[in-house]
Amino acid sequence: MAEAKGHDYALFLGCIAPNRYPGCEASAIKCSRKLGINLHDMKGASCCPAPGAFGSIDLNVWYAMAARNVVIAEKMGMDIALECNGCYKSIYEVNEKLKHHDELRDMVNEVLKTVPDPTDPTKKGTMEFKGTIDVFHLVELYADPKICGPDKIRENVVRPLTGTRIGVHYGCHLIKPKKERHLGDTENPMWIEELVAALGAEPVQYRKKMQCCGAGGGVRGYDLVHALDITNEKLINLHEAKVDAVTESCPFCQLQFDRGQIEIKEKFGKMWGLPVLHFNELLGLAFGMSPAELALDMHAIPVDPFLKKIL
Amino acid sequence: MAEAKGKAKAKETKEARETKETKAPAASPAAPQKARIGVFVCHCGTNIAGSIDVKGVVEYAKTLPDVAYAEDYQYVCSTPGQKIIEKAIKEKKLTGTVVAACSPRLHEPTFRRATAEGGLNPFRFEMANIREQNAWVHMHDKESATDKAKDAVRIAVAKAALLQDLTPKSVTVEKTALVVGAGIAGMQAALDLANAGIKTYLVEKLPTIGGRMSQLDKTFPTLDCSQCILTPKMVDVGRAPNINLMTYTEVDAVEGFIGNFDVTLRKKARGVLSTDEAEAKGIVGGGCNGCGDCEPVCPVIKPNPFEMGMKPRKAIYIYHPQVVPLLYTVDFDTCIKCGLCVTACGEKKAIDLEMKDELVKLKVGTVVLALGYDIFPVEKKREWGYQQFENVVTSLEFERLICASGPTGGHLIRPSDGQTPKRVAFVLCAGSRDNTGIGKPYCSRFCCMYSLKHAHQIIEKIPGVIPYIMYMDIRSFGKMYEEFYYRIQDEGAKFIRGRVANILEDKATKNLHVYAEDTMLNRPIDLEVDMVVLAAAVQPASDTDRTRKLFGVSCSQDGWLLEAHPKLNPCGTTTAGVFVAGVCQGPKDIPDTVAQAEGAASAASIPIHIGKVELEPYFAQCIEEKCAGCGMCVNLCPYSALSLVEKEGGKKVMQVTEAKCKGCGTCGGFCPGGAIWMQHFATPQVVAQIDAFLTGGAK
Repeated sequence: MAEAKGHDYALFLGCIAPNRYPGCEASAIKCSRKLGINLHDMKGASCCPAPGAFGSIDLNVWYAMAARNVVIAEKMGMDIALECNGCYKSIYEVNEKLKHHDELRDMVNEVLKTVPDPTDPTKKGTMEFKGTIDVFHLVELYADPKICGPDKIRENVVRPLTGTRIGVHYGCHLIKPKKERHLGDTENPMWIEELVAALGAEPVQYRKKMQCCGAGGGVRGYDLVHALDITNEKLINLHEAKVDAVTESCPFCQLQFDRGQIEIKEKFGKMWGLPVLHFNELLGLAFGMSPAELALDMHAIPVDPFLKKIL
Repeated sequence: MAEAKGKAKAKETKEARETKETKAPAASPAAPQKARIGVFVCHCGTNIAGSIDVKGVVEYAKTLPDVAYAEDYQYVCSTPGQKIIEKAIKEKKLTGTVVAACSPRLHEPTFRRATAEGGLNPFRFEMANIREQNAWVHMHDKESATDKAKDAVRIAVAKAALLQDLTPKSVTVEKTALVVGAGIAGMQAALDLANAGIKTYLVEKLPTIGGRMSQLDKTFPTLDCSQCILTPKMVDVGRAPNINLMTYTEVDAVEGFIGNFDVTLRKKARGVLSTDEAEAKGIVGGGCNGCGDCEPVCPVIKPNPFEMGMKPRKAIYIYHPQVVPLLYTVDFDTCIKCGLCVTACGEKKAIDLEMKDELVKLKVGTVVLALGYDIFPVEKKREWGYQQFENVVTSLEFERLICASGPTGGHLIRPSDGQTPKRVAFVLCAGSRDNTGIGKPYCSRFCCMYSLKHAHQIIEKIPGVIPYIMYMDIRSFGKMYEEFYYRIQDEGAKFIRGRVANILEDKATKNLHVYAEDTMLNRPIDLEVDMVVLAAAVQPASDTDRTRKLFGVSCSQDGWLLEAHPKLNPCGTTTAGVFVAGVCQGPKDIPDTVAQAEGAASAASIPIHIGKVELEPYFAQCIEEKCAGCGMCVNLCPYSALSLVEKEGGKKVMQVTEAKCKGCGTCGGFCPGGAIWMQHFATPQVVAQIDAFLTGGAK
């Protein structure tokens, strides 16, 4: 459609990225443009809402809130691009479910009727889920050669991350459950590694790559020590593989790895000090953004050892 | 509105019946062919009566046009039930019968015989299925089920009123049989047929007979050496005078029908002449005698598929030393035609590197399909790491590794470093009982038992080894199988009940971590082992789908060939004269395979011994006055049963070879001039059924 101008998407921010790691958002907006992906703000978007927390308590609230976010993009006439695996689970999955289940869609639309229009809060009855758009994760768009692809990223790198060893954490909600996703192999996927390699870094394989970060599904909220236990095992395995940083596509995984290391120090007495960077942040660095532009000083674990290798 | 109309119609017919009853004697001489149909509704115990108001259906039937008599009975298929039909035909001067009961696949022959006993042509009978297609699926809705039964009866009556007398044709049966596939099932079937005095063609796509069983080391629960019990049978097959063994041959095309199958075989170019073939070519004392002089000189090295690729073979090869027939084969896909083998063969002149595929035509009376199985490509279950991690092997690879004639001389070794494993995990249900859409939903039935046997074999051969059996359920169902299970428990195998979640490799040691939940102890486990054996699911052999279509045999949704009846006709198929044996019909172990092969051979010999078969008279008939000779039907017929012939005056009309026609109706439905009369499914009969459905109303 808009081939000459690039691809347009509604950018769904989520909560954790703008509140805790604003560099993810900054990178998304600045870097995507260079790759032919134009992101547009979604006025009135809410929390996705968090799939573990909301889904465990009331699925209907989860459906309705996620559907409301989808409808905002439907009204913009754009597919959604987002930057968090948790948001991906909520928005992608609800969008697909409502597209294929008439009863559920009718029920959700009953609720949406009573919701004010985000562009004009005095109006009601304008919100209706129609099922006209698709939902994508930004890394998925980066990896898709029809939209961008690793080659296009490689061409735009101005500060290659040469000499760094990076472990990739995919996070569960991006690719699982396999039946409800379309991103290929769930046992040993390699496509984010290809993106990391395109930035000039060396992607490193490590034991139990596909293990959970420990946070998801409400585990972090319910039983922090158990969550940290899982995180700690991941950190042991990453440490064994001698990585300089771990990257992921999910600010919530990032929070768990980043804040989690402080908590692990408190609970288990071990400080790993492993820099944690969202893929967007890595992309920003490779595309020449400064650490300040990426607000890397907001990380709980300093990323300086990693920056020293590339700056 | 339609309902109201239906009600009016029913009322009308009821009135009509009342008037008919009073006026019948007067009316009958005027219309002597007026249909008089008897309707018999079966209770089938509570199978039907439990969800359908049988009495109500009978009362309804009495209101239908052409119905002269209606009655219900507990079991119409019983002897007294059949007598009721006979009696009614005679006393009520019926012209046709309708039985509303089970599926015609079960009792149509019964009621046809009863109709014939009553003095009518057996094809004056029509069946209404109110059990499988009604009572059993609408168990909790008696009212609707009863309405639906009334519809079915009304439709059947409409057809019965128009049925005609038909006479089945009988054809002679060719006194030869064909067995496709020469694994243990095909060999056993061929031996039985041959021993019953029937000339039998045994066709095998591979260069040797023996099938999967010849790849196994030992068999459970007796622990006989598989080859030791198999090779005598292979030798018997090779020597039986009544068996014409054709290896390296595939079925190319099939025409015809029971008693007269015209089969075209493709004898694949083997590059080597047998002694008989050489003699026929005038090479005196020539042909392959299996001396093997050709093999060492061949410069091409390829993996041997018999050894699951774990041993090399040359481009001219035999699978193993005990092959039958002992005849080398040239793999033309890899042969570089250097000619060294031809020189080595010398005066025997057995090798012909220019050989081409040859088509052979056969005429056979009956066919047994024994197409066998393949291993499910378990690498699709990515989480278990097959083909990613060297020390994860399949059970069939394990069989070769533990077999004394295998690539390691029977010493089980880890593929990564050649070391003897001390901890071996056997992962059961590897792709079986899998509802993820990647594996197979069914149980592969023999994996539990061979995995127990594998555990025994390593305990016997490797001191201090620990076999871990990761299982969902142990299905030791056969004779002496449960006892074998206890024996392996006593020998020290560790049983862990839990489906394996994933397997990861330790990059340094190449050891494997098996992750599962031990559901007996209710805890997750991380088991480090030296080697993993996946008891991979089985699936139909690669050629099964193509071959079954040639013979018109159906398959179930999982791809296994469909038997005619799962309990009462497990060897037959829906194609008359074609029978199935062995795993191609569904996973089964060796004893069950041999039993089914003997059953299939017995069933296949019956038509041959009787010498003729009766064909259902459902064939198409050409109404010559209406036929324009366009010939469209000739091309449409899937059974090549139709042809155009020239009549006097040069008029071309279609002609049916009745024995070939299956009555599928493709031609009859298409014919633009309405010139094809489908016997027993004629247009007026079918239209009457549709009319009865649309214009009636069961209220």
